[in-house]
Amino acid sequence: MESRLLRVDLTTGECSVEVVPHAMFERWIGGSGINNWIMWEHFLTHDINCDPRGPDNIFVFGVGPLAGTGSGSGIKGRITFKSPCYGIFGDSAAGGKFPYMVRFAGFDYIAITGKAPRPVYLYLCDGEVEIRDAAHLWGKNTAEAHGALRQELGDYPSAAHTLTIGQAGEHQVGIAAVVSDASRIHARGGGGCVLGSKNLKAIAVQGSGGIRVDNPRGLLAWSRDFRQKIDQNEAIYGFKRRGTLGAVEMYQHIGSHFWRNNQGNMFRGEEVRSDNWVKKYHKYSEVCSADCYIACDGRYKIDGTESEKAKKYVGETFRRPEYLTTGSAAGALDLRDWAEVAHWGKVTNDYAIDNQDLSCSISFMMELEQRGLLSARDKGELFGRDQSLEWGNMEDVEALMHNIVHRENRFGDFFNDGPYWGALRYSEFKGENFMKYAIYGKGGASFTEEMRPFPTWMNNMAVASRGADHLKGIGLVEKFQRRDLSMKYFGRPEAADLTTPLLKGACTAVVENQVALLNSYGVCLFHWMLDPGGFTPEEYYGRAFAEITGIDRTPEELMRDGERICNLEKAFNSRLGLRREHDTVCERWMHEPCPEGMYPGKVASDMFETVLDEYYDWRGWDRKTGLQTASRLASLGLQDVAEVLAAEGALAPG
Amino acid sequence: MSHTPQIEMVTGAIWYAAGSEIPDVEQKLYALSNQCTDCNICEVACSLVHSPDGMVNPLLARLHVDHSPQVGRKIVHPFAFVADICHHCGNPPPCAEVCPVDAFYYDPATNVAIIAQDKCIQCMECVPGCPFDVVFVAPDGELLKCDLCGGEPACVEACATRPEMSNAGKQYVRAPVLFHTDTAGYREVLQGKPEARDEVGMMQAMLKAGTVSSAA
Repeated sequence: MESRLLRVDLTTGECSVEVVPHAMFERWIGGSGINNWIMWEHFLTHDINCDPRGPDNIFVFGVGPLAGTGSGSGIKGRITFKSPCYGIFGDSAAGGKFPYMVRFAGFDYIAITGKAPRPVYLYLCDGEVEIRDAAHLWGKNTAEAHGALRQELGDYPSAAHTLTIGQAGEHQVGIAAVVSDASRIHARGGGGCVLGSKNLKAIAVQGSGGIRVDNPRGLLAWSRDFRQKIDQNEAIYGFKRRGTLGAVEMYQHIGSHFWRNNQGNMFRGEEVRSDNWVKKYHKYSEVCSADCYIACDGRYKIDGTESEKAKKYVGETFRRPEYLTTGSAAGALDLRDWAEVAHWGKVTNDYAIDNQDLSCSISFMMELEQRGLLSARDKGELFGRDQSLEWGNMEDVEALMHNIVHRENRFGDFFNDGPYWGALRYSEFKGENFMKYAIYGKGGASFTEEMRPFPTWMNNMAVASRGADHLKGIGLVEKFQRRDLSMKYFGRPEAADLTTPLLKGACTAVVENQVALLNSYGVCLFHWMLDPGGFTPEEYYGRAFAEITGIDRTPEELMRDGERICNLEKAFNSRLGLRREHDTVCERWMHEPCPEGMYPGKVASDMFETVLDEYYDWRGWDRKTGLQTASRLASLGLQDVAEVLAAEGALAPG
Repeated sequence: MSHTPQIEMVTGAIWYAAGSEIPDVEQKLYALSNQCTDCNICEVACSLVHSPDGMVNPLLARLHVDHSPQVGRKIVHPFAFVADICHHCGNPPPCAEVCPVDAFYYDPATNVAIIAQDKCIQCMECVPGCPFDVVFVAPDGELLKCDLCGGEPACVEACATRPEMSNAGKQYVRAPVLFHTDTAGYREVLQGKPEARDEVGMMQAMLKAGTVSSAA
């Protein structure tokens, strides 16, 4: 396996290239695993409690070994950093062509530290690196910056692909995102803020190199098998047509949306309740990431005839909204027109800001207004004007979004780190507790979905290393009530049963390990979710990993690799002082009964602590403190990590 | 117009004169515009199949995905992606006709013209010689032309919208982008009307397929 790591110190302008040793792949698989280790090593020599917006923070970009090799399982680039908004471990993934082109330009990993004295962008081409002036790009949104770079760099030796930040990143808004090729967004955790604080506007790559595969015949045979499995899977055809939008109807049915700051869990707008968006707006062919068989993405164009509100956006064209774009717009903010939902997706992408954090912040304010908790004076203090805060009013939404993106007034300043910190700051400012209207888990903004009836999902929200997150330990077994999978993983059916806390924490632990593996392979989670390989990445993808890298592992060994990766993320957070009390969720989820849908009356506190205990038990962590134990870390070959934790008092006693 | 000298091509033992009884290549690759999803798997698969040492590199592929297909100087469609592939012209193919060293030969298995790399002097005459711009130059100067992989093209097999994925009669119908040989069969797929069914969402499809057993 040939792989290179580029280190860039923006303060001095020094760039160095290292070969990633084979042993690194044996220990950390690749992708997010290696990213995590690069960051861990960085913070052994730098203060881990540093300001995430300071020059000491590190920004790592990495691509896993399976990405772009024709395995057909999608491709994901991963960024890893200390999160500026939540102050804990932060990472985020996105697909597209950028990660693919980074590999052809001769690098698999890029680690950026320091701070450039003026706005710059990083240019990589066939093993060469250059730090270039970006004064002409500063102030541009992601689409404009991408277009300008494409024009500037031309088509030789290949088309240019870019990773850019928008205005939110430039203003160091904590929840700012990084956008790849102007359309695919690394949203979670505030990577854009880290880049903005380093004065790095963009990374642009062009490449004509290749990726060497250990056993090409074996890989071709594997991908043939993968294709046949996909061809036989009917679920994939629906997914090809709608992507994650297919979830809209299903979630409406079971009451799993997030309506008006989770005061409800069903969409009210007639139009947005079904996925007829596809029929109305989808006008172009499906588009997909490089090296992907599914093509769940598409393009829309608004011609103004779709609805009354669509007239405002005539000619607008962009990627079609994903489920969470819809969940945040049609749910959290109660926008009821597809044109507005699509437009919301486009603006957040252009500004490069996480629409989950953003929508939860705005819906928090709207709920205060709805409850009559905002006087004219309060609004004056927050916005410097008499701001209308009406559910479903796109003008109000855009005004508040603009405030946060540009950190214009007190509201923009308070909420630039998402709803949890925003609500906390506002409560402190007013001397009154408004925390019960903020929806969060572990300090991170909620994903705009109803979680209360689903104990595994609630557990995911509480324990995910990057703060409230459903992608680290997807609770599919439970939400789709997959008894077969429960039997497969545990030999018992309880993990698929919503009425008992049994095996819920265990399910989080097992799926987290699997997802850590997939993220480290550099492939897309959707292929795995649609089941061509039987929900066992360690067996199925493990074979492709062996053909590409020559590292042949048993499924048990690979699951331990996944567990090792999860434990390193945990250790990072433990060093930052996170303990059991931080693995929690917001008051509304904990104590307010689920209002409607298929499972009314459920509250998280019913099962929360039991599930959390079980999760710690399966992880081999201490129940009382939530900390890792030396023995479990040693069994994973992480003695060095245990030593660091012990020295800082972040290891469980005994 | 000056006289074009006749070029003889060889399939090992048998020599053909241009215009003689070699039929036009029956087995061809076809691509449909505006169906391509830009996944690049055809390029990746092509480069992997043709690389002796397992190198994946789209620039070594014998077909390319055109990101902004143009008619004249006008971009026809901002989000269309079209696979540029060899049309396997009849005898003699224009690329072979301009070759000064007769480096092209017919593969007896498929009747398609192939470049003999040991004969090729990399003069690149065939690049403008091709009326469809589908003879490519690798970064190291090697001339790349589609050889149909000896009859079973890897690109067709790997295409994300391959015929199997057109899924006729099922709930989701999409025409294949890349297809090979027998056009009649595909014409049927293309012209046939999809079986009328209600469109169902992802989860419903999963429920129906029995891959999930939700309370919904």
